[in-house]
Amino acid sequence: MKKSSIIGLVVIAIAIAVIIGLYSNASSYGSFADAKKTSGELHVIGYLDKQKELYYDAAKDANYFSFYMKDKKGEECKVVFPGTKPQDFERSEQIVLVGEMVNGEFHASHIQMKCPSKYTQDKVEFTEASAKKADI
Amino acid sequence: MDTTFKGEHLFPGQLGQFFIILSFGSALLAAISYYFATTDKTGLSNSWRRLGRIAYMTNLASVVGIGCSLFYIIFNHLFEYHYAWEHSSRSLPVYYIISSYWEGQEGSFWLWCFWQGVLGNILIWKAKSWESPVMTVISLSQALLASMLLGIEIFGTRIGSSPFILLREAIDLRAQAPIFASRPDLYHNYLSYITDGNGLNPLLQNYWMVIHPPTLFLGFASMVVPFAYAIAGLWQKRYKEWVQPAISYALFAVMVLGTGVIMGSFWAYESLNFGGFWAWDPVENAALIPWLTLIGGVHVMIVYKNTGHSYFTATFLVLVSFVLVLYASFLTRSGVLGDTSVHAFTDLGMFWHLVVDVAVFFVLALVLVIIRWKELPIDKKEEETYSREFWMFVGSVFLALSCLQLTVVTSIPVWNKMFGTNIAPPNNPVTLYNVFQAAFAVVVALLAGVTQFLKYKKTDTGKFYITGAVYLLLAVLITALVVYVSGIYRLRIVFSLAMLAAIYMVLSNIKVLTDAFKGKIKLAGSAVAHIGFGLILVGAVIAAGTSKVVSINNTGEQYSAEFAKRNDPKENIMLYKNTPVKMGDYMVTYEGDSIAMPNHYFKVDYKRLDANGKVTEEFVLKPNSQANRKMGLVSSPDTKHYLLHDLYTHVTMAPIKFDDDPQDNDGHSEADDDKNYDAPISHDIAIGDTIRYREGYIVLEGLDKNARVQNIQLAKNDIAVGAQLKVVSNGRSFTAEPVYMIKSGDVFDFSRKVDDAGLKLRFTKISPKEGKMTIMVYQQPENRRPYIVMKAIEFPYINFFWSGTIIMVIGFVLSIRRRNKELKTVAPAPKANKVSKRPSPLQAH
Repeated sequence: MKKSSIIGLVVIAIAIAVIIGLYSNASSYGSFADAKKTSGELHVIGYLDKQKELYYDAAKDANYFSFYMKDKKGEECKVVFPGTKPQDFERSEQIVLVGEMVNGEFHASHIQMKCPSKYTQDKVEFTEASAKKADI
Repeated sequence: MDTTFKGEHLFPGQLGQFFIILSFGSALLAAISYYFATTDKTGLSNSWRRLGRIAYMTNLASVVGIGCSLFYIIFNHLFEYHYAWEHSSRSLPVYYIISSYWEGQEGSFWLWCFWQGVLGNILIWKAKSWESPVMTVISLSQALLASMLLGIEIFGTRIGSSPFILLREAIDLRAQAPIFASRPDLYHNYLSYITDGNGLNPLLQNYWMVIHPPTLFLGFASMVVPFAYAIAGLWQKRYKEWVQPAISYALFAVMVLGTGVIMGSFWAYESLNFGGFWAWDPVENAALIPWLTLIGGVHVMIVYKNTGHSYFTATFLVLVSFVLVLYASFLTRSGVLGDTSVHAFTDLGMFWHLVVDVAVFFVLALVLVIIRWKELPIDKKEEETYSREFWMFVGSVFLALSCLQLTVVTSIPVWNKMFGTNIAPPNNPVTLYNVFQAAFAVVVALLAGVTQFLKYKKTDTGKFYITGAVYLLLAVLITALVVYVSGIYRLRIVFSLAMLAAIYMVLSNIKVLTDAFKGKIKLAGSAVAHIGFGLILVGAVIAAGTSKVVSINNTGEQYSAEFAKRNDPKENIMLYKNTPVKMGDYMVTYEGDSIAMPNHYFKVDYKRLDANGKVTEEFVLKPNSQANRKMGLVSSPDTKHYLLHDLYTHVTMAPIKFDDDPQDNDGHSEADDDKNYDAPISHDIAIGDTIRYREGYIVLEGLDKNARVQNIQLAKNDIAVGAQLKVVSNGRSFTAEPVYMIKSGDVFDFSRKVDDAGLKLRFTKISPKEGKMTIMVYQQPENRRPYIVMKAIEFPYINFFWSGTIIMVIGFVLSIRRRNKELKTVAPAPKANKVSKRPSPLQAH
């Protein structure tokens, strides 16, 4: 066999390995209901329930944070995260969790949140003060 | 416009908008003129070229005009413009106005336009016979970039997004402010209600953010030059000639883009809090991918120049690199990444515009390659197995394959959009990327080492095996030591192999460098660049692989059995003010705060203790947080740099106030204040006695008979006595003098606080008979005391990563100088070997 054919085969083999590697490692999005059915980690997208308690007490445990989240189907579940309360968590609009369900609690290993920061919302602040009048 | 608005400055925006239209028009004119200058057969090509030049120079001038108008607007705080309102504020220091330029998409497109304009003018001056075809491509690219800034409506769709759009046009102010609904007559005066802009994201208020984006965008912009040469080569059927002049530009592009990427990584390491220098975030990958493909491209271009082999691979990689740059801008700017990236730009509604940009150049490249396929100078003869060109080719193919993995995984949201699937990114993307990329790095770095012992065309196999093996043995020995000392052997085997390959690469290139000093000086550039790249790999593998969290803390309450069972790393440690805590080899103390608005610095004292408890080293780190009302809480780390490792610290949680909150407010009643403390304990003591409390002790050192209390005049029979107390808390001492007073027959006492010890002290009674004084000790409960929660990480040998980058850049500079010298001395056409028209299957893949 020619060298070039060998290289060609190796390239194709690696390309296939890469794609299989992707599919075997890719996760899936789901709901809390899905998380109860599956073992292993899952992505869940949802919204923080701002009515319920966000629990974080650094004095008791600096690495325990719990809150309640509603997933996109409206199911609510307690979420436990082994870390600090992410900065500005209360202001989050949407949360993406990675984790698994353990005894009815969702144990998140990763939290990513979207905040209504200036990047996503154009909210003008009106100051009713006697503003400096710009000169024309 | 039916209303006139008070206080608006419309001229700078109109001028800027004029320059935008001019820059688009002139770039388009330049593209058309250069096209005819290239194709014209009637003798008018010189006139066309002159027109093209004038148009392109006008383009650069108008791009500068856009920049000046925008600068004027931001500098003068003209918040009637959306861009100024959104990205700056009055309090922004002048030097960060530059950063606010490229916080938004429009500003970064402008930056790209500017660099491409500058590069085009350099080509007008330097490209000689290549000018017309190359500039056709570059002008086309410039026209497409300028169209991103247009912001005008055509057939009901808005094309591009202009930085000169007015605030009241971008946002429906009347819908947002109820006052305009009730008093529409006030609307014409809306500007007087808008006193300040949104301000710049605190994370971008960093000197690295002043220089990182310009470097990165110069890198992106310069990728178009080799692409344009490759297109020109295909178009003009000057298949062989384009490679030589394009090599210098390609080297320049990879040098600058590489520097820009690493600068971004350094900025992330210094001021972001994800705890590292590389997170495989889609935004990072998007910049890395074209860099890697063009690195591969440069190598096969050199192969082609020297041997006539690998023509197709060289063309392919150069073409695909620029298309990937455009794809990167599509990924980061179209909003397609959505949930998968934290720091992508928001969607400006330019999704299809960006797609068109990628498609135009992709189709252009594809069509030209297909049309010219039969004529391409593809060498039928196989490379020798023992030849440098063959293994350089293989290495470049592997570089491209590593990009395939990066692209396939990073583009998951794109696949979802295209195929309607709903795949989530890998749960642990960092590990996945690390393992895959380390595997590719093993192959690429080994080849970059081995090829140094091979010659072009044919190598003496005996000698090759001996030197190759000697260096491999040496590399194995060094690697064994490094892997053992750093602890890499505990990780997956692939990281040890990557270390071996990187060390082998460094060693063999050191050999080339020493040879270079003996006379073959022109080889120095590539050797230095390779050594730099090898060191980057060494640094990355050790620092990322063996970084360890120092602040491991398993003292928590463990709320449920399940939670306790999970072996997630508990990485945060809590520090009460002035209470030392042992953390790894250090004793750390949160000593206090210093506030320099808008930064809130936390002073954390580190003491390293030896076995006998003696302090061998002491330093203070000041990680900071900003509590900004608009952006939220933002923390930045502080890092202690050593030669061989770094200690990185950042605050993950702290009860701090927003920057616009009043700081401490006095005027609380005494009773209110007492609520901040535990129930007091009274002690009756004599002078010289000691009171013990939770964190130390208090000594009554004496009485001050002439105590004074501010603003209180004492009459003849009044008495004021101060208790001179020495407070020792966790090894630090303070003094306090609470006062006991009898005034006009009534008894008063004035408490004193020792905030750093969390104490309030009162002197409430004197019992002259017993000679005792009554001191009341109020102690703050633990959870009322100031605290921080922080995380500390040690990064070993990270300096290899940074110094490798600098060395690599030096290598690139040397290589560019060498290639430029060759351009001047060697005849333009490379002496290619026997060339056949039939493509070999090897290069076809």
